[in-house]
Amino acid sequence: MKKLLLLSVFALILFSCGNQKSKKQVAVQPVTEVAILSVDDLIKQSADLADKEVVVKGTVMHVCTHSGKRCFIMGSNEDITIRIEAGDKIGSFSQELMGSDIEITGVLREVKTDAQAHKPGEHAGEHAKGEHKEDAATEKAHKVIADSQEKSETVYFIEGIESKVL
Amino acid sequence: MKIRKLLRILHRDFGYFIVGMTIVYALSGIFLNHRYDFNPDYKIFVSEFQTDFRNKTNLTQPEVESVLQSLDQKVVYKKHYLTNRGIVKVFIESGEVLINPKTGEGVMRYLRKRPIIYGMNKLHTSSLGTVWKWGSDAMAVILLFVAVSGLFILKGKRGFNRWGWWLTAAGFAIPLVFALLFI
Repeated sequence: MKKLLLLSVFALILFSCGNQKSKKQVAVQPVTEVAILSVDDLIKQSADLADKEVVVKGTVMHVCTHSGKRCFIMGSNEDITIRIEAGDKIGSFSQELMGSDIEITGVLREVKTDAQAHKPGEHAGEHAKGEHKEDAATEKAHKVIADSQEKSETVYFIEGIESKVL
Repeated sequence: MKIRKLLRILHRDFGYFIVGMTIVYALSGIFLNHRYDFNPDYKIFVSEFQTDFRNKTNLTQPEVESVLQSLDQKVVYKKHYLTNRGIVKVFIESGEVLINPKTGEGVMRYLRKRPIIYGMNKLHTSSLGTVWKWGSDAMAVILLFVAVSGLFILKGKRGFNRWGWWLTAAGFAIPLVFALLFI
């Protein structure tokens, strides 16, 4: 009996610690109303919505086979897609979701390519004219990077908070 | 109560308590280790078939459904679309079907969950949301306690000081060697 009591107390302490934290998290989150977007609309407005909470609905066209930790939902055609990363609350996406319409609440994130991360123009701007001399090879390399930067595209994905099958 | 006696009692009772969870984690750990050798969650059945369609650019829903009905496997239609490569991709419950409307060739990929293993893998990867994450953390703490308390239960010739530390060191050495060699 004593041992059972000891076990119960131990379990109670562990679980109560976890519950306190989740209560705090709920209290901090602001209550906001977010419009439900289609994938097409989300992609169009992606630059403005980066790092903001969004709600998007679309058809699941692919679920990561090995872990289910991410899926892709499509809009009006297969070229208009967005990747969804399953957050803690979602856990994972099941393969059975393929072809289902789902509604995802999450934060839209922006991924910059290497070419974009490297901005030689900005670095050069930090120096006064003539102060920063570069050889021809470096100039050429910077031009190549600048060109690829223009061609590169920004990729967006959603850090999923909640998902709902429609 | 002496410390060693208390440890023995706690080790025994927590040990009983944690058996189920240890089995889940150990078995699913083996399956997940081999996730690139085979799909640990689903059995995947791939079958090819031929339809009567020729030189078509797209298929209507009734046409797709008639194809699905003719297949050996009973499948439920969800929706379909035409891919950029001109292939009709059909979503079915538990899988997908690809049909080439020009040649009539088709492939079905049907998934079936591995009954118990699927559930164990989901538990192992903490894919069931926040509550389970904390629950499994608690179980991990208990397992840690059982492992460490086990070191101090026996005394004498077969106790940790004279016998146990060799085996404990060996247990640490194996992952350490791999870590040093490959990380």
